[in-house]
Amino acid sequence: MPSGFTTRSARETRNAGAALAPLLRAGDVIALSGDLGAGKTQLVQGIARGLGVESAVTSPTFNLLMVHRGGLPLYHFDLYRLEHVEELDDIGFYETLESDGVSVIEWGDRFSHALPAAHLLVVIHRRTDDVRDFELVPHGERAGQLASAWVDAVETQGHR
Amino acid sequence: MRPFLLFDTATDHLAVAVGDLEDRSAVLAADDFPAPRAANTVLLSSAERVLASAGLRFEHLCAIGCGRGPGSFTGVRIGVATAKGLAHGRGVPLVGFGTLDAVAAKIVAGLAPDEGQLLGVVGDAMRGEVYPALFRVRSGGVERMTADRVTLPEVAATEWAQLGRRVVLGGQGLVKHRAVFEDILGEDGIIADGALWTPDGPALVRAAWTAAGDSTVASIRHLPLAEAYRIAHPAALLPVYTRLSDAEEAERSAGRSVPHNGVAGPRGGETG
Repeated sequence: MPSGFTTRSARETRNAGAALAPLLRAGDVIALSGDLGAGKTQLVQGIARGLGVESAVTSPTFNLLMVHRGGLPLYHFDLYRLEHVEELDDIGFYETLESDGVSVIEWGDRFSHALPAAHLLVVIHRRTDDVRDFELVPHGERAGQLASAWVDAVETQGHR
Repeated sequence: MRPFLLFDTATDHLAVAVGDLEDRSAVLAADDFPAPRAANTVLLSSAERVLASAGLRFEHLCAIGCGRGPGSFTGVRIGVATAKGLAHGRGVPLVGFGTLDAVAAKIVAGLAPDEGQLLGVVGDAMRGEVYPALFRVRSGGVERMTADRVTLPEVAATEWAQLGRRVVLGGQGLVKHRAVFEDILGEDGIIADGALWTPDGPALVRAAWTAAGDSTVASIRHLPLAEAYRIAHPAALLPVYTRLSDAEEAERSAGRSVPHNGVAGPRGGETG
């Protein structure tokens, strides 16, 4: 059964990201899918805030990977500009995913075969200008637990 | 004295050493420390510091050498690229050695195993795979039995179990896959202490001296500098990645030839 949640502003999207942060642990991989302007970077900004990252989080499009030092290291990938799957080796993709932090991958669905067997895919659907539906597609047991805990946390947040 | 600088950045552990082309037992200076995914920020300063501890500077060097992998893809590239830049800039030859050979040398130095003892070194290839290499203790050093390649840990462990002999195991691939080797090898698998899973400076010196083929210490040690530079030109050394890129897999399945060096693309930088 698909799970997910809806946000009604960029601020709510960032709050949803912040709600995910305390649930994350080293080795978790979150893949984000959604059009330009869907709110992927907003979500990552919220995750970063929740992890205690103090530096500014922007889209890493031209940098491919931004590393943020918080409670857990946050590895923020943007694969939009990559053309070939072997370029993932060039940017240290696999060794970063298997290291000491949390990896969030924008446009990860461009190279879905290169994603690890265990990851949480977040598909962002833009309903109107402000409203976004977040569809959570877990791959693996850990991602399933993460998805349901995240939905619970966002719902709790909404009731505050 | 003809000093040469060595380093290896293919594991999470950075190792640096200074050897002497006139004395294969000499380790003039050495250091090693953990530097996971940080080799780019500390390699040159570490090399400078290790050289200084032996009273040396880059301009005193008669050769540069580096571990060619296999190991961390990014780490290997940082090491090989830095070594090429240093060697080219100084106009000195560039030599290489296998990272797994250096790990084997470290295990031998640490355990002093009997002559003939088998050593299985397991590098971490990521994505659930390993770089296994089998060695045999010979004359106090190591002799390589198998070529570098990438495979599943279960495959490597099964092959080694079928030898029916004790195998001493080490290497960073065991961090993730130790249980596979323990289960499949049973009593025949002897796990070396974790401190022996990555190379140190003296291990680099031993691996560099035993490396065979082109662009090695053995190929240049008797040559004058200009000729050594021509024979082991900095552009000629290639990293060992072993995992074919998808593009190369496509080439191979299309029946076209793929270079056996495990490196994508033409060997365009090589001088002839």
